[in-house]
Amino acid sequence: MKPQGKPSDPHWYKDAVIYQLHVKTFYDSDGDGVGDFRGLTSKLDYLQALGVDCLWLLPTFPSPFRDDGYDIADYYSIHPMYGSMDDFKEFIEAAHARGLKVLTELVLNHTSDKHPWFQEARSSLDNPRRNWYVWSDTDDRYSHARIIFLDTESSNWAWDPISKQYYWHRFFSHQPDLNYDNPDVREEMWRVMKFWLDLGVDGFRVDAVPYLVEREGTTCESVPETHEVIKFLRGQLDAHFSDRMLLAEANQVPELVRPYFGDNDEFHMAFHFPLMTRMFMAIRLEDRKPLVEIIERTPAIPDECQWAIFLRNHDELTLEMVTPEERDFMYDEYARDPVARINLGIRRRLAPLLEGDRRRVELMNGLLMSLPGSPIVYYGDEIGMGDNVYLGDRNGVRTPMQWSGGWNGGFSAADPERLAFAVISNPVYGYQAVNVLAQERTGHSLLNWMRRLIRVRQSTRVFSRGSIALLTPPNHRLLAYVRAFEKEQVLVVNNLSGTVQAVELDLQSLAGAIPVEMFGQSLFPRIGTQPYLLTLAPYAFYWFRLRRL
Amino acid sequence: MADESLLSDELLRQLVAVGHVDILVGVPTLNNAPTIVPVVRAAQAGLSRHFPRARTLLFNSDGGSDDRTPALVRDSTPDDVETLTASHPLRTTHRITTPYHGLPGKSSALRMIFAVADLLSADAVVILDPDVTSVTPDWIPALARPVREGAVDFVAPLYPRAATDVPLVTQLVRPLVRAAYGWRLREPLVGEFGCSGRFAAHCLEQPVWANGLVREGVDLWLAGEALAGGFRPGQAALGPRVVAHATPRPGLPDVFQQLMSAAIACLEYHTEYWLARAGADEVPEFGTVAICTETGPVPDLQAMALAFARDVTALHPVLETILSAPTLQGVAQAAATAPDHLVYPDDLWAATVFEFVLAHHRAVMTREHVTQVLLPLYLGRTAAFLLEHAASSAATVDDALESLCLAFERAKPLAAAQWKKA
Repeated sequence: MKPQGKPSDPHWYKDAVIYQLHVKTFYDSDGDGVGDFRGLTSKLDYLQALGVDCLWLLPTFPSPFRDDGYDIADYYSIHPMYGSMDDFKEFIEAAHARGLKVLTELVLNHTSDKHPWFQEARSSLDNPRRNWYVWSDTDDRYSHARIIFLDTESSNWAWDPISKQYYWHRFFSHQPDLNYDNPDVREEMWRVMKFWLDLGVDGFRVDAVPYLVEREGTTCESVPETHEVIKFLRGQLDAHFSDRMLLAEANQVPELVRPYFGDNDEFHMAFHFPLMTRMFMAIRLEDRKPLVEIIERTPAIPDECQWAIFLRNHDELTLEMVTPEERDFMYDEYARDPVARINLGIRRRLAPLLEGDRRRVELMNGLLMSLPGSPIVYYGDEIGMGDNVYLGDRNGVRTPMQWSGGWNGGFSAADPERLAFAVISNPVYGYQAVNVLAQERTGHSLLNWMRRLIRVRQSTRVFSRGSIALLTPPNHRLLAYVRAFEKEQVLVVNNLSGTVQAVELDLQSLAGAIPVEMFGQSLFPRIGTQPYLLTLAPYAFYWFRLRRL
Repeated sequence: MADESLLSDELLRQLVAVGHVDILVGVPTLNNAPTIVPVVRAAQAGLSRHFPRARTLLFNSDGGSDDRTPALVRDSTPDDVETLTASHPLRTTHRITTPYHGLPGKSSALRMIFAVADLLSADAVVILDPDVTSVTPDWIPALARPVREGAVDFVAPLYPRAATDVPLVTQLVRPLVRAAYGWRLREPLVGEFGCSGRFAAHCLEQPVWANGLVREGVDLWLAGEALAGGFRPGQAALGPRVVAHATPRPGLPDVFQQLMSAAIACLEYHTEYWLARAGADEVPEFGTVAICTETGPVPDLQAMALAFARDVTALHPVLETILSAPTLQGVAQAAATAPDHLVYPDDLWAATVFEFVLAHHRAVMTREHVTQVLLPLYLGRTAAFLLEHAASSAATVDDALESLCLAFERAKPLAAAQWKKA
């Protein structure tokens, strides 16, 4: 089945299955130990075969790499270690030729302190770019703003010894925040966007959106003026392009994310962070309650907008938007070893979090592909890659892609010591045990299963565009819901527990429908007015297309 | 809830047990006890011999027979040693017989068969006519294999025909469908056919099952829908088609009216497609049609020619409202030469048919009146053709029929232009 979204469909993102990857660790074409665009281009067939239809790339700008590229020193270029601008253009062209959209990062909130703008700004109090950043004579302004990188930062202000003032930074101290109260900054960031859009980029994942604007007496998160900035940028985007997309990274509770959609005049998409956390909670609790609560709490969004849902990404599994009790539970269940914890989160990949349990991995991906929103697959999770918590920062979940059981896991021909990050090599998740080549040759590998899963998801628009109606069977270990779009209905039943479960579903409202299981096309008895009995194996899930004939 | 569905709860339970099938052989029936057993045996043997590894279902959709047809379907067994010993399917063979809901008729039966095919995700569907006594096991692979191998979506039959066989097809339906739809389909009235599950699902979704079009002319509509719907057509060589009707068949006037009504209705339904279509593409053939050495029964051509001449005169005022002046003049001239030297040229006949179709489209008169008035002209044309070719060789007849089809193709552009203006 071809992906649902068509190149000319302005709402293609609503039907997309997105694949997030790090160019640095995807594939190295020139043997220098670092992935590059030519390497990524050579792997586009793999991505197309996986069934995804949009790629989201971590930053590839020139950078001192003190935050793995999120500290940007030049917005208009590609770091040479990833290749040339021509390599980038060829990659875009090759991706588009395969029907793959491309999202790149847009780090609006801050730059590297090595960026020429900041170098100029700090050079004197009179410099024309001085007001491009946020300065203060004291470090006690905006005192209600929390510190995000708790493990490394003790303040949101850093002292600049050159200009003898403090500058504001919500993240690392080497990442000074840009000042969006300055119209010049907004105009410049639009120029940055247009530069990449003109090169064919299909959209941006916009980093750290809630922190763009500061106001005294607030938490400096999601202040109203932030939305004016977004509306300005979106307005410019709509005036020049018809089919591009902005995806907001706003780690907030869903009702506070809602304003970032505006009235179809801000972001097209936004991550649903709390949903992700509660998926992990529910499967560990063997109880649907956390998921039901967050789904019921998720507000309606404008019709042109879409949630982005995910299991893992390049950052820690964030525990910011949970209660202290929930955070303690997550740490106890998923990160007993404190080395796995960073900031307010857990820096582990999907498979290790789920103890390598194939059934749980499948269930979580089944939830990802059947809950409302456009799903994002983090590179390597389609083969069940492991992590290395002993690498600094979040680098342990950004290790090289494991293509084969050979040299450096097939990622690079460089000496292993030269790799940007070491390849995972333990007997459980190491490249000899977990790699693309082996899984392509194994019919029931996780990789082939993921390909089938994505194919079935893409066979209907129910999952991407449909409504959701939760069912409430007495058995709390079962999470069941009906997705509906136009005339189609799909019944989804998930066993969140590690034991066989029976459930009787009240499906009277669906009486007369014939359930057809979507992976094997097996028929099930017609739904009647009596409770519908189903039994599910541990962590099993069913997707039933409801036919009426 | 079963009342609202094509499929009863009991049938659904049986289908759940069957599961996904590779080949579904569907047999629609209504009081076919005298002929059904050989059909079922041939179907079963065909599946066993040619598709021993496939998941198969023989599905009988019955319109309420009161002559034990369903029981005969259910209980029939292989009748020869060869079949018993050499045909051994590896899988459980499934056979279901069930009544269908809705108005009795082939369309209701087919709709149920298509619904079952869709629900069971059948790769290939073969439909057999329960009245055909000449069906052999080889008909099953002939109709199913081109679909299973992915070559085509719709397989029409090819029968060896004598020169005098089925003039309704050779003189009327075949050339009209070829010219209009742009495909060289020799047997557009598909009594037996094969199709993909995809085509079956497509037909099921069309809003035609309740209206008269499909009820009276489902055979023709299916072919038209396959061609107009962008499905890949094919035609497969079968043996001779010998029909032994269990019940008395309607006379020619009723058959002609039904057929012509169906043809006109199909053209109305597929207007957008055939108006844009030009030329006529070859339809791939699977297998080789045997040459028919028999001469079929020859009707009373003298009587047909006299009836033609008489009716043309009597219907002249009506014909003036339907036919253009040149066509009317040609028809009158043809009638004047009957019965001894009756000639009804190909181009004249093509123009005649298209102008009658246009007359209906312009609502000059009802469909019933159009077909009633056309019938005597059809008799004249048929008489003229058979007078010339009843004793001709098969090759000569083929050439003559090809000339007729080309005449219809030449007449189409003008007809299409006039259709658009109406």
